[in-house]
Amino acid sequence: MKGAPFTAMEFFRKTLDPVIALAAIAFLDIFLFLLVGAWTVGGGETMMTGLFAELVMGKEAVARIPFWSLVFKPDIAYWKIYISLGMLFGAFVGAVLSKEFYLRLPRRLSEWVLITIGGLLMGIGIRLAFVCNVSTFFGLTPEMNLGGYLSISGIIAGAWVGSMIYKKILEG
Amino acid sequence: MDSAIGECLAAFVFGSVVGLLVQRSRFCNTAALRDAILFKTYRNTKALLVAMMILTLGFTTFLTFGEGNPMHFDVGLNQIMGLFLFGIGMVLAGACTVSTWVKTGEGNVGALWALLFTFIGMFLFSLLWSVNYWPPASLSMTGEPNLSALQLGYSNAATLQEKFGIPAVVFGAVQTLVLFAIYRAIRRKETIQHQHHEEAAARREAAKAAKAAKPANTDARTEQA
Repeated sequence: MKGAPFTAMEFFRKTLDPVIALAAIAFLDIFLFLLVGAWTVGGGETMMTGLFAELVMGKEAVARIPFWSLVFKPDIAYWKIYISLGMLFGAFVGAVLSKEFYLRLPRRLSEWVLITIGGLLMGIGIRLAFVCNVSTFFGLTPEMNLGGYLSISGIIAGAWVGSMIYKKILEG
Repeated sequence: MDSAIGECLAAFVFGSVVGLLVQRSRFCNTAALRDAILFKTYRNTKALLVAMMILTLGFTTFLTFGEGNPMHFDVGLNQIMGLFLFGIGMVLAGACTVSTWVKTGEGNVGALWALLFTFIGMFLFSLLWSVNYWPPASLSMTGEPNLSALQLGYSNAATLQEKFGIPAVVFGAVQTLVLFAIYRAIRRKETIQHQHHEEAAARREAAKAAKAAKPANTDARTEQA
């Protein structure tokens, strides 16, 4: 349609302003907060870890590890899992419709090593803190939970240290 | 919401829209912090702050009336330590919890690899926790400070309202103002950066023009001679 300020085709052709995207997500997050709870990713990932562990090791072996009976009992009906699966689905649809879906592999061994260390630290960090970055910025802190301020202090300090390591690597 | 299926469905619909919007906007939480620290660029930081302002007002308004489902667990030193490790990890991996899922959806194998090792890290931590039982599990949380376990208890806008008799939204408004002040400071910094860039570009243009004019002057002098 000529003269229309924004069309569906344009949505998949142009990059959306992140301020608009995040404002829309924030309003949706308020609805989710009223229905079940604020946006979070780490909890769902932990439950998926438990479910994968059950697939690999068997239910009984996993149940013998106290964490998986006292903190997180693997449960496929845990709502937070579906936020992550939804993000995967939504991103896939967005990438296909905007012709941005293609397989990308890290080229250098050093990149694989950094991603491996980074992934491990994220996993350990989330479980140690009970929260991830999403719960920190989009859940705890807007609820004015004390944990939000503790988490923000931690993540800023961590991002600073990580950035300095990254800078050293970039400079060779 | 009472039904588990309903909860999962609502979560999936929410996640799908988030995935689509993040993919189309290229928002990245890692970049919001890393780019501000390393490159002094704030595209993602501003978006993060705007979302936090909307959420603070929204959540605290509903908490004032006892509505909503806030996160409920004791907090303490483990939040600082955990997110510190997470912060290093996300910069090294080049992705946070959101972008690992979104980039995997775009076909990025590195992001899938990061996700896999996030799961492995969580499983390793579950083994460690099963030895020392720290931080305390939700069953043993009391909501009160427990200094021997390095826990400060539970508090949010709703508990502040209970304690001081001031509506939660008032505290929310104060936090929103603080976030807005940070947002404005960033915008001001960007304006100054933009002015510097424009001045530098103008200087480059002027230098180029002067260089181009030089041979012409030389020719003129030759003609006069």
